[in-house]
Amino acid sequence: MRNVLAIAWREVRTYFTSPLAYVVVGVFLMLSGWMFWASLVRFSSLCLQYGNNPYVFNQLNVNDMVVRPMFGSMAVIFLLLIPVVTMRLLAEERRTGTAELLFTCPITSGQVILGKYLGAAFLLAVMLGVTLSYPLLIMATSAKPDVGPTLVGYLGVLLLGLSFIAVGLLISAMTENQIVAAVGAFGALLMLWAIGWVADSATDTVAYRLNQVTFGLWDKLHLGLGGPTVGDLLNKLSVSEHLGDFRKGLLDTEHVVFYLSVVFFSLFMTQRIVESRRWRG
Amino acid sequence: MIEVAGVTKRYGERAAVDGIGFSVSQGEILGFLGPNGAGKTTTMRILTGYVPPTSGTARVAGFDVQEHPIEAKRRIGYLPEHPPLYTDMLVRPFLRFVATIRGVPGKDINARVDRAIERCGLAPVAGRLIGNLSKGFQQRVGLAQAILHEPDVLILDEPTVGLDPSQIRDIRQLIKSFAGAHTVILSTHILAEVTMTCNRVLIINEGRIAADETLEQLAARGGKTRRIALRLARPGDGVEGAIRAIPGVLSVIREGGQDGAFVVETEGTRDAREAIAQAAVTHGWGLLEMRPITLSLEDIFICIIQGEEAA
Ligand SMILES: Nc1ncnc2c1ncn2[C@@H]1O[C@H](COP(=O)(O)OP(=O)(O)OP(=O)(O)O)[C@@H](O)[C@H]1O
Ligand SMILES: [Mg+2]
Repeated sequence: MRNVLAIAWREVRTYFTSPLAYVVVGVFLMLSGWMFWASLVRFSSLCLQYGNNPYVFNQLNVNDMVVRPMFGSMAVIFLLLIPVVTMRLLAEERRTGTAELLFTCPITSGQVILGKYLGAAFLLAVMLGVTLSYPLLIMATSAKPDVGPTLVGYLGVLLLGLSFIAVGLLISAMTENQIVAAVGAFGALLMLWAIGWVADSATDTVAYRLNQVTFGLWDKLHLGLGGPTVGDLLNKLSVSEHLGDFRKGLLDTEHVVFYLSVVFFSLFMTQRIVESRRWRG
Repeated sequence: MIEVAGVTKRYGERAAVDGIGFSVSQGEILGFLGPNGAGKTTTMRILTGYVPPTSGTARVAGFDVQEHPIEAKRRIGYLPEHPPLYTDMLVRPFLRFVATIRGVPGKDINARVDRAIERCGLAPVAGRLIGNLSKGFQQRVGLAQAILHEPDVLILDEPTVGLDPSQIRDIRQLIKSFAGAHTVILSTHILAEVTMTCNRVLIINEGRIAADETLEQLAARGGKTRRIALRLARPGDGVEGAIRAIPGVLSVIREGGQDGAFVVETEGTRDAREAIAQAAVTHGWGLLEMRPITLSLEDIFICIIQGEEAA
């Protein structure tokens, strides 16, 4: 644990001694702040407009109209910024040769990877921590957002960010080039984001497709052709789809498990790659 | 302390290291010598557990580097060919970081870092950014991180590259000070470095060991007189014939430039000097000078490398 923390702490120092952390946090705050403010302005103008129409006025809800879109915009900004946060992590170690120091020290590759992961996660925590001021800001007004759903939403974007970092770290292990790592991570994340977009038209069941690729053997074995559709399956893999319930303030373990699985799977693959990378010196 | 047995490392079809085996006992300073691409760095990377060998085993302090990497690595200090430095860190925090991951107990870290800074002469730059240091000081930071945790085994890949002459002397002194308590392996292209710091030399060529000898043995190879330089005051025409008749002489060459200068080549096993002197006296050539042409370490090195290539 001491080793993990030492590596994480070194990573955090590097973030904050280079302009990178300030640029990333700054851009994140600027964009998320702007989007938050925009929906707040819209909300307050609607409130003014329908102030004497109790029926519509009671439908206006600060959680739905301000807080929920805020999480959506944060997720999109993460999609753009997290590859920048993770691109350096392992690629740079390999390029500059400091990997040779880390991997000849009495620590395991798992500890190195976990340390790097926690270092980047710290930056994520800083970003999200500062944005807690947005909902606190509207707490001070008469429009009181519900605390519970807001916290659930935060948990959602935190988990989303953590899974993005794990994917970014995985890509960073595959190359020595930071730009390649950033573009690769962006591509991988965007793919995971959009993978469910074909869900509506992919209405064949998974079993039907399996039957096709096994030339009917599946059906002959009476395994059944019903069950989930291909679209359902793709939706289950989509990082954006799983955020939906969190944004609504619904805490469902299925989604928590999904994000944590992405994290564990990516970290595990990273470890495998780092171990095999050493086979090639 | 270090046992390497049958270690081979292949990159694709090429073998960078091909069946190397040697052992180093405690307190020895072993010099790795070899031309570029001989496999010195690869051998060191295998010893430190950075690169796994394709086959064979390497043990450090009794621990197999592949099977018990943590235990083995705990006992090793390693300076890679390119000093592994985080250029965005200050010298002292960097050394503290390395001390932590090298397993130095928290309460000892400050003392160890101070000691390493002092031993490597880093005091004037301890508060500076590593990326801004000169090559020589970066090399010293690299050395400092290798000795921080007082390892039993010190593995240094070309430790004096990029240093100025006085620094080189200091570093050699430092390396020598490790002898006895620690075991040191260093690689170098500078033959003088080997004579000055090591007590054993391992010459590697094309991934194989070409020679594994103590300095005395190596020097003895050059000591065997094989060629003799002669200068005669009155060299007649019969000189070559008369000398060639002496048993053990292979050839006699008249040196063009200097009058009366000859080079006599003899079988390595026989010393023909006495017989030559005798002949000079009987023929009245007027022997002015006779000296064995000893091989320098450079010559021996080149002989070994080329002998290997011819084989
Ligand atoms: N990662 C690698 N991939 C492919 N080939 C490699 C790799 N590392 C080393 N080699 C090859 O292995 C051989 C030995 O290299 P090595 O670096 O061990 O030589 P060296 O003795 O340290 O040379 P130098 O004196 O130049 O430092 C070289 O031919 C090199 O090209
Ligand atoms: Mg080398």
